[in-house]
Amino acid sequence: MLRESSSPARGRALGTRWLGVGLAACVAVVTLGLAVTGRIGLYINPDAAWWAVSMSIVVLIGAIASCAVPVTGHTHHHAEHDAHAEGVEEPVPEPVPEPEPDELPRRSAPAVVATVVGGTVASAFVVCSLVLPPASLSAELALSRSSGGAPQLASSATLALASSGDTSAFGIGDWASVIATTTDPSSFVGDTATLTGFVGPGEGDDDFWLTRLVIVHCVIDAQAASVPVADAGWSDRFDVGQWVEVTGTFTQDSAGALVLEPVSVAAVSEPGDPYEY
Amino acid sequence: MRVTRERMRVTRERMRVTRDSAHAVAPRTVRVHSRGRGALIGAGIGVVVILGLFAIDAWAPSLFASPLPTRAQDGLTLGLSVLIESLPFVVLGLLLSIVVQVWVPAGLIERWMPRRAWARRAVLSLLGMFLPVCECGNVPLARGLLIRGFSVPETMTFLIAAPIVNPIVILTTHQAFGFDGGILVARLVGGYLIANLIGWLYSRHPDPDALLTERFRAECAHDDHLHGGRVRQSLELFVAELRAVMPALVLGSALAGAIQVIVPRDALLAIGANPVWSILAMMALAMTVALCSNVDAFFALSFASTFTPGSIVAFLIVGPLVDVKMLALLRTTFTTRALAGVVAIVLAAAFVIGVGVNLGG
Repeated sequence: MLRESSSPARGRALGTRWLGVGLAACVAVVTLGLAVTGRIGLYINPDAAWWAVSMSIVVLIGAIASCAVPVTGHTHHHAEHDAHAEGVEEPVPEPVPEPEPDELPRRSAPAVVATVVGGTVASAFVVCSLVLPPASLSAELALSRSSGGAPQLASSATLALASSGDTSAFGIGDWASVIATTTDPSSFVGDTATLTGFVGPGEGDDDFWLTRLVIVHCVIDAQAASVPVADAGWSDRFDVGQWVEVTGTFTQDSAGALVLEPVSVAAVSEPGDPYEY
Repeated sequence: MRVTRERMRVTRERMRVTRDSAHAVAPRTVRVHSRGRGALIGAGIGVVVILGLFAIDAWAPSLFASPLPTRAQDGLTLGLSVLIESLPFVVLGLLLSIVVQVWVPAGLIERWMPRRAWARRAVLSLLGMFLPVCECGNVPLARGLLIRGFSVPETMTFLIAAPIVNPIVILTTHQAFGFDGGILVARLVGGYLIANLIGWLYSRHPDPDALLTERFRAECAHDDHLHGGRVRQSLELFVAELRAVMPALVLGSALAGAIQVIVPRDALLAIGANPVWSILAMMALAMTVALCSNVDAFFALSFASTFTPGSIVAFLIVGPLVDVKMLALLRTTFTTRALAGVVAIVLAAAFVIGVGVNLGG
């Protein structure tokens, strides 16, 4: 970088650094920023945060150290043929100080265009991540992801724990899997619960589905979990997507399925950790 | 091609000589002082830039309260979550790739190899177990193997096997699926068999070197582009490999997010339950989303509730081997014809394995 004399060569060197080390450093900064402000849970399971944080630190150390190395022919050369492959690359690729550069075939115009477009889109995405405030998934999308059933992750451990009678620490995900998998719903009748989630539409005006997204690793694997709440006329008081805190007791409905009979349903603002893990 | 091979050998010799003499001869030390200052200034610039990024990350968001439409914001959230989740694994792969390329002494890997062609391929396809590099890191590594003198079918076997028979991939696939539905086992065994099948088929090719592109053969002829000491080489590889991988990683993550937002779940659900169509749909998805094999299991998990296990296996086999990003990377080294053959074999084999899992399950 420091030894580059001609400006096209310097431009290429900067392009190489931005699209490689630069993008990685931005993502590392975003990761560390989220971790420091306690919002990493908006994107990945906080249990895995230590791993993301330590590798982000490695990226930043590597990025700083790599600035100490002037970009040489190797970097251009190497970056060129790798990127040629992915069709993403800076505009004027030409191995600078290599011997016999004319031996390397020139790249086609479409490949150059693909490179510029791909590089721009990738840069725009990363800059947006850096500049825009972190956000949770919208209720709208969460609801479209619920396939009606309980999350896949319903574990037998949950059920065993539930049968032992200790359901005090259960979240919506746990209750949803209990409701979906238990063979003896009556054993849960009378259990009390205080659950926070958002309002999802029920089958009619008599009940709504208290919904929350459950995440295993990162938000892309989020699955919606729901507990039915018997609350006639709910649609007059709440919009779909409104966060509520429900306190109540489980009972069986006419079909024998478990349903939460609320003592109170109160509108609340979205919690800082909108997902369950 | 024999000429090219010979030139490769000569180049390597020359490299070794240059490197040795560079260490011995004095003039190099004369420049050390000014270079040391340059390095400090460069690192200083790096620190300032990173601090600047932290400042932007801390203050810029307060300027935009709720700037994006819901759908775009969801796409960004999903894409960024994949990016944050996968970057650490890519960095790990990168570090290991640097260790293998720079710090493992020349000849160490070669000495452990058996002589017979099929045995060499069988071992090479397990090499991925000890070189836990993700699919993107494999391509530079495979090019290195070719330059070291491994044959084309051998290198291809490694390339196809390593993204799947890989400790990180095994770990993440196990984390995502456990041993449910035989998905983990089918993925590993399937990947291993496909790699050896491809290696065997191409070893019967009359002129395997013709499978390489002119460009790569030309590059082999003057592949003396690593300069200076090992630390310096490592940093250069760090810059170059990130440059090769990051744009594809970001685009892949963004695309994965976009697909989740744009493609209606209902459409996928309709396909997902059919034992044959679900496999074809998931193979098409695998080729287009281009996720890193280290993290694709997490992605596949989001489909596990709606798609057949066989289709998940097909997704997990096809994705690491012949997705668009991987094909683009491979195209640097292999001809289009050779790759078309590989794609056909992988798709056919993955389909058969997928159907097998669906019937068996």
